[in-house]
Amino acid sequence: MRDNVTAAPVVDRLALAMRASHVLVAIFVVAGLVFATVGVAMKDTFFLRLATEALIFAGLALSVDILLGYSGLLSLGQALYFGLGAYVAAVVLKEIPSFWVAMGAALVASLVVSILAGLIANRVRGVYFALVTFGLAQVAAKAVYNTRALGASDGMIGVPIVPIDLGVATVMSNSPAGFFLFTLAFIVVLYAISAYLLDTPFGRVLLAIRANERRVPSLGYSTRNARLAAYVLAAVVAALSGALYPMLRGFVSPELLFFTTSGNAVITVVTGGVGTLAGALYGSVILTVLKSVIGSMTEHHLIVIGLLFMVTVIFLPKGLMGFIRPSIERLIGGGSR
Amino acid sequence: MTDVFEYIQFVLAPQMITGLALGVAVVLVAIGLTIIFGLLDVINMAHGEFYAVGAYVALALGTSGVSFWLLLIIVPLIMIPIGYIVERGLIQRVFNMPDRHVTTLLLTFGLGLVVEEALKVVFGPNTQRPATPIPGAIEVMGIILPTYRLFLIAVGFAIVAAVAIVVNKTRLGALVRAAAFDRNMAASLGVPVSLVFAGTFAFGVALAGLAGVLLAPIYSVFPTMGRDFVFLAFTVVIVGGMGSISGAVVAGLLITQVQAISSLIVSPVWSDPIVFSIMVLVLVVRPQGLFGRLGHA
Repeated sequence: MRDNVTAAPVVDRLALAMRASHVLVAIFVVAGLVFATVGVAMKDTFFLRLATEALIFAGLALSVDILLGYSGLLSLGQALYFGLGAYVAAVVLKEIPSFWVAMGAALVASLVVSILAGLIANRVRGVYFALVTFGLAQVAAKAVYNTRALGASDGMIGVPIVPIDLGVATVMSNSPAGFFLFTLAFIVVLYAISAYLLDTPFGRVLLAIRANERRVPSLGYSTRNARLAAYVLAAVVAALSGALYPMLRGFVSPELLFFTTSGNAVITVVTGGVGTLAGALYGSVILTVLKSVIGSMTEHHLIVIGLLFMVTVIFLPKGLMGFIRPSIERLIGGGSR
Repeated sequence: MTDVFEYIQFVLAPQMITGLALGVAVVLVAIGLTIIFGLLDVINMAHGEFYAVGAYVALALGTSGVSFWLLLIIVPLIMIPIGYIVERGLIQRVFNMPDRHVTTLLLTFGLGLVVEEALKVVFGPNTQRPATPIPGAIEVMGIILPTYRLFLIAVGFAIVAAVAIVVNKTRLGALVRAAAFDRNMAASLGVPVSLVFAGTFAFGVALAGLAGVLLAPIYSVFPTMGRDFVFLAFTVVIVGGMGSISGAVVAGLLITQVQAISSLIVSPVWSDPIVFSIMVLVLVVRPQGLFGRLGHA
């Protein structure tokens, strides 16, 4: 079937869009490398660490986009998995200072929790899904906030600096440029895995669910399994990104689980462009830059962010990528013929 | 035996009445939310901020000498044009985009952010507390009850009853229900649907503002007051059934009683998780909520 599609003169629109996203991510990586070089040359710490944080939150936004952009389900509680990853990593690192053990624990924890929560959340759709995910995250946030063993409202401090053994090289989590580059690579790998999975027939089933959920079963596909798989994938992406947070900052706090975190991720995705995956990365950087620039002028930067967000929703519903990606598509689409 | 009676008299009963006062307040906010959803199919994430705006307007006017009783009329009148403009100027812009639920939810979420931050700019981040308009307490069967809370319960029930009568028994309510059931059919029969939409949204916003006036003396006024409160209201709306007025009333009173009584048994900090667990359970068992939607009898 696929051969027929490629042999036909018409280019597969979705595949082309995905290739355009790859190009945009490649540009993103190049920009990141340039930024790191400049940062190292200027012996900078602050901006490198800020950029690393932007990348970590890009992972959370990526997770929101997997759900919103593909199966069309808005999660208002993705911070649940981000916070889960962060807390699991922090607890593990304080006991066993090993990067891979912490990441493995975050992966397992997010798999278990997301399969259970996914069974609940996927019983409903639309607005109800948004509110169930919100409710689940709120329960988790309040539970952590009131649990003394997890530091309650203060969070947990004193997460040790860990070496990240990559086989060929070892990166220390407190090295600004090293950890920035590692995070960049890590988020791009998360992007690549997500993009690969969403480009398979599984991804097409999700898009079909988004378009018309009732018709999908009549074509022989199970919507339940596909939705659960998307939910679990999104949860894992969020948790693995979150697990990097305590390594960067040395602490975790219950704010990571709060609605503000989930809401910011949604703002990021909408600004960057829903359903593009690359938009999540760009959106996170844009939002971080905006916050620090406007934040340096006024402490009420949320007014500006909120207004820009509203303007985006009204006038640019496809976000920044919806604005840029079509021209990239024309560029590479023209080149391949 | 006397222990049990004393427990009921001095612990359980006051707790339940405090819970009832909160319940009535939540119902006021939740009814606005549920009517807006039932009619317009819009999740108004900024609803809590309208509640906060109502409280702040009341605070500002109250300190400049306007009496509390006048505020109960003035504040809703101020909120109506605000709601009307928001519906006309913002909601309608995205109303016909694909995926209305998500788009309007995002838009009102952004609006909520802006309003909350604007309140911080104008009134400062600190908590303020207006004086209680009716001070004192009444003793009923040995239970001492603050008069204002009893007043709140009475007024709250009166408002809810008035709303229910308007929606279910009047011609105006029939127009609203008709537009909620089938807006195209209603429009072709001469119902001014766009006016009904904007008017209903403004009405819901006014109810939220009124709740703000009524609750400010008990729960204080602070910029994030809406965000904290609207979560509870959303839970009520979901449990009761989105778009159902009777559902909002039943669920609102039920949930606040569960909260009040459970906080006697376990630490009050766990009341939020308990409430959200109820919401999640209801959604799993009965996703459409306990009652049906507005206009869909």
